[in-house]
Amino acid sequence: MNGQKPIPLKTQDNQHYWDMADQHELALQKCNDCGKYAHPPGPSCVHCGSTNLTWESLGNNIEATIYSYIISYRPFLPGFQDDLPLIIAQAELKQIPEIKLMCNLLRCNPENVQIGMPVKMIWDDITEDRALPQWVPQEV
Amino acid sequence: MGKIKDRYAIVGVGESERSRNSGTTPLHMALDAARAALNDAGLEAKDIDGFMNYNENDSCTSHQLATYLGVRPKYVKDIQGGGSSTEMLIGDAIGLIEARMLNTVLIFRSMNGSSGQRVGRGYDPDMLQSALPGGSYIIPYGSASPSQWFGMFATRHMYETGITKEHLGHVCLSFYEHAQRNPKAFLHGKPLTMEKYLETPDISYPFNIHDSCVELDEANAIIVTSAERANDCKSKPVYIMGMEARQCHPNAHYWADLNQVASDYVGENLFQSAGVKPEDMQVASIYDCFSWVVLRQLEAYGLAPKGEVGEFVADGNLRMDGKLPTNTAGGMLSEGYTHGMNNVLEIVRQLRHEYKGAERQVKDCEIGICTGWSGPDIAGAMILRN
Repeated sequence: MNGQKPIPLKTQDNQHYWDMADQHELALQKCNDCGKYAHPPGPSCVHCGSTNLTWESLGNNIEATIYSYIISYRPFLPGFQDDLPLIIAQAELKQIPEIKLMCNLLRCNPENVQIGMPVKMIWDDITEDRALPQWVPQEV
Repeated sequence: MGKIKDRYAIVGVGESERSRNSGTTPLHMALDAARAALNDAGLEAKDIDGFMNYNENDSCTSHQLATYLGVRPKYVKDIQGGGSSTEMLIGDAIGLIEARMLNTVLIFRSMNGSSGQRVGRGYDPDMLQSALPGGSYIIPYGSASPSQWFGMFATRHMYETGITKEHLGHVCLSFYEHAQRNPKAFLHGKPLTMEKYLETPDISYPFNIHDSCVELDEANAIIVTSAERANDCKSKPVYIMGMEARQCHPNAHYWADLNQVASDYVGENLFQSAGVKPEDMQVASIYDCFSWVVLRQLEAYGLAPKGEVGEFVADGNLRMDGKLPTNTAGGMLSEGYTHGMNNVLEIVRQLRHEYKGAERQVKDCEIGICTGWSGPDIAGAMILRN
């Protein structure tokens, strides 16, 4: 609790996602048996229980539309006190609509955020070697 | 569950003082609540052979409670959990009594929810990232409070069904109105108008402070036994007609599918086990950590027509003279918050007609529904009758 924003913790199950994010790319976990994607990634497929999992790289041109959002006017974690109001948004991937990814929506006035709004992914370099995926409006 | 119908009953309910700062420990409050429930049932501590508790590492244990009641039970159980734990533990108690392992079970929840560990203010970020499934995908984005997690669901649901802020406000107004008839409600003497509700700034859109439960220091206790033993108790038994203890839906905190919630899987089995229909419910306790959660559950349980839940509450149906008086002590939005148990206490008292002659009694109510919501991922419910 040093007043800094939390940095994503890499674990056995999510390491590849965050390693790829650090390189400004999106990777998703996919099941080789049932063919479905899973997010967040885990030790086995949440759809069928299979451990036959793979990672699929989606590159760095990620488009999506806002599926749902909240706007926080108070910080619930250290490090966010200067980012208020803070938009946290789930966006539906254009390439894989069943996947909704949660990020902050940056460069957007809270009054302008709406469901269906087109966004794209950017990667915010939060430390020397770590990057955090974020959404920004497509027209920015 | 068909065989269980009406064969088990809630025979005792009790609570401790309710405050912003108890100045005491969860054990002291649990003892107060347990003694009140025992007194209500006309039982002694030695009559209880099973003690159960749910907590979030913020309470005392069942073993401690039994010890300081001066008894030596043959079964103690403490589970980690919040919403929907009351229903689940009542279901567990029934199973253990049915298996003849136990006779009478006391279930409690005791928490310094205001002066101690406070859910709504968020948690330690490092703990959360490790402890929550998918934690690394939500915590770095500043999402650490249930108001933010449930709000994400609410915004989408409101968009799809046409529910507005005013509709959320009607849930709050209905419950605050109940609280004005309950001198023990924390927000007794603090009525709410729609104007005031709409003027109140959001803490985290779509929720303002009125949409959120009141976090307090409090303990509640419930005693469950068989229908035969219930006849020997001092209180009027409230029978368990039907129970669907806990249904699940994947992904606890990172929701990719905002259309489905665990509550959607509870209703069918619940009503079937009780042999009644949603329209037979005359009083309700609907888990209300946030106003929106009530709306989503009214829809899930078929208590209001899908797509019309907003109009249902705007028409005053949760009020005393409505179709389904709900959370009649004020609910967690305005009475108190023990992760659902205070709402169970109230529906038991309503079905006993304990307030007979007073304005707060739901006239002639005989059957009621009580729901629990841990999140979109976990839910359960039961149907009670007098």
